[in-house]
Amino acid sequence: MSSRPAWRALHYSAKRRAFQPPTPYRCFSCTTRAQSKPEDERMTHFGFTNVPESEKETRVGAVFSSVAASYDRMNDLMSLGIHRLWKDHFVRSLNPGSCLPAMTADQRGWNILDIAGGTGDIAFRMLDHASNINHDMETRVTISDINAAMLAEGRKRSLDTPYYNTNRLDFVEANAEHMPHIPDASVDLYTVVFGIRNFTDKQAALNEAFRVLKPGGVFACMEFSKVDNPVLDGIYKRWNFSAIPLIGQVVAGDRDSYQYLVESIERFPSQEEFRGMIQKAGFMIPGQGFENLTGGIAAIHKGIKPIVKA
Amino acid sequence: MAHLARTLPRRALPTRITPYLRQTQALSTSTIQPTFVRTRRTPTPTPTPAQCQPKTLLSQARAYHSALHPRLPDHEYTNSQTAILTAALDHVPAHGFTSTALTLGARDAGFLDVSVQLLPRGEFDLILFWLASRRGLLRGKVEEGGLFRRIAAEKGKDVYELGVEERVRGLLLERLRMNDEVRHVWQDALAQMSLLANIPLSLTELHALASDILTLSGDTAVDAAWYTRRVAVSAIYASAEVVMTRDPTPDLSETAAFVERRFEDRQAIADKLTGIGQCAGFGWNTAVGLGRSWGLKI
Repeated sequence: MSSRPAWRALHYSAKRRAFQPPTPYRCFSCTTRAQSKPEDERMTHFGFTNVPESEKETRVGAVFSSVAASYDRMNDLMSLGIHRLWKDHFVRSLNPGSCLPAMTADQRGWNILDIAGGTGDIAFRMLDHASNINHDMETRVTISDINAAMLAEGRKRSLDTPYYNTNRLDFVEANAEHMPHIPDASVDLYTVVFGIRNFTDKQAALNEAFRVLKPGGVFACMEFSKVDNPVLDGIYKRWNFSAIPLIGQVVAGDRDSYQYLVESIERFPSQEEFRGMIQKAGFMIPGQGFENLTGGIAAIHKGIKPIVKA
Repeated sequence: MAHLARTLPRRALPTRITPYLRQTQALSTSTIQPTFVRTRRTPTPTPTPAQCQPKTLLSQARAYHSALHPRLPDHEYTNSQTAILTAALDHVPAHGFTSTALTLGARDAGFLDVSVQLLPRGEFDLILFWLASRRGLLRGKVEEGGLFRRIAAEKGKDVYELGVEERVRGLLLERLRMNDEVRHVWQDALAQMSLLANIPLSLTELHALASDILTLSGDTAVDAAWYTRRVAVSAIYASAEVVMTRDPTPDLSETAAFVERRFEDRQAIADKLTGIGQCAGFGWNTAVGLGRSWGLKI
């Protein structure tokens, strides 16, 4: 009978340790690391901390695994609900789905790839827009995310949508920098919303986007950016660094993840720099190339893959 | 002045004049600039020339006008954008200035449905392209030389006898006739142009048209008349467009009559204003003379 308390203790600890990050020690306030790493490895930033490139992926994974469940509630609190307006505007400006009858088999519905769209926020909006506004029942969305916890959240939410278990919605766990399962020139619209900030190598992801897009296809990205107005910027920075980690601590019980979130926003390149990166990948830039939302807190970037005349 | 600045050696110009030369903005003309690039404090990475947007055209834009400068292009759309827009114009008579026409144009040009994202302003870009390209066509017709000869032949005159006024009238009517094929959808386009966000670009394009018409007619005014003439031609053109959308005659004779009446009105207003000015000047001179005769120190 003495084995019972021991078994219970084991069981208990297994439950508590639902997620074990591969890196046991994560320090946000300083640059010291628990494990010593080879010195010649390339470094990248993780928030304000510098980490080896090989480690960023797992660290970002840990952050998003821990926030997946409370993701929506936290987004509402942090952005005061504005993120919904941004996302609606993003989808409306892209106008997914063809309202015209298709001339060729190739024009039957759009093939949309939603990168880092684990919880399906953008994907469901796009499918709704395509079916309700453009009456296009062919448009398909593939949700790709590197994080299984976020994908599970999206799968759970897709149960409440009419797209559950249809061929219009698909979930794939993949790294956006390397997607060998997606053939060249197969995607009409590539979207990444509030995700590219967390990529280890953004340029590699852009090059991969260029590869999978059809000629004439569109790369569209919404991401936090730099605020123009210095007054608004002051208020915004104060909100970011004081309020958001606190909200994270109170609501989601995870201060560190939200500290990373605001630091990564701070480290993301400005509108012009990111436009340069999109151009470098080979895209054409329409007009100014970006559209600021709420004074530049977020920005929508677009690029179009050029058609090569044979 | 700009010509003077070019011919004189730099040292011959007193330093105090040069700022005024730079500020000679009275003759500024501008075309639509869809690739408006905002300057920022942070340095931007310069793209390679192959991917570069036509920013170089912008750098040629000066704040003043000179006959020595090369003319700005009618629009600054890139090749891909022009391909989509040109193909879309073929669908305008059937579908109007709508996103449907744009999508069909993109398909015709070999692009995907999603590629209309290349035009950030959507339908309004189609309207602007129509306006700018028709303006370019008008210019082409004049530079070819046939247009004024035809206008002169209609009036039974020789081309050298045509006055500036008659040329302006002829060009304006010719421009209106170009809208004939889209007459039934033009009201929608006017509605789009009058949306608050679209008004500045619409007015810029209207001014560019008025300026082109006057320049091509040989108007060389450099005084206050430069402004009043452009305003008058713009006003007549804009109101004639509205009349044209409701004109039932197939050859636009009602619109032509309307334009004729407006030019007469313009002349009448100009005469009245000149009369009022003369009257006021006479009155003032009389008052001053009367005062002096009473011994006032004026």
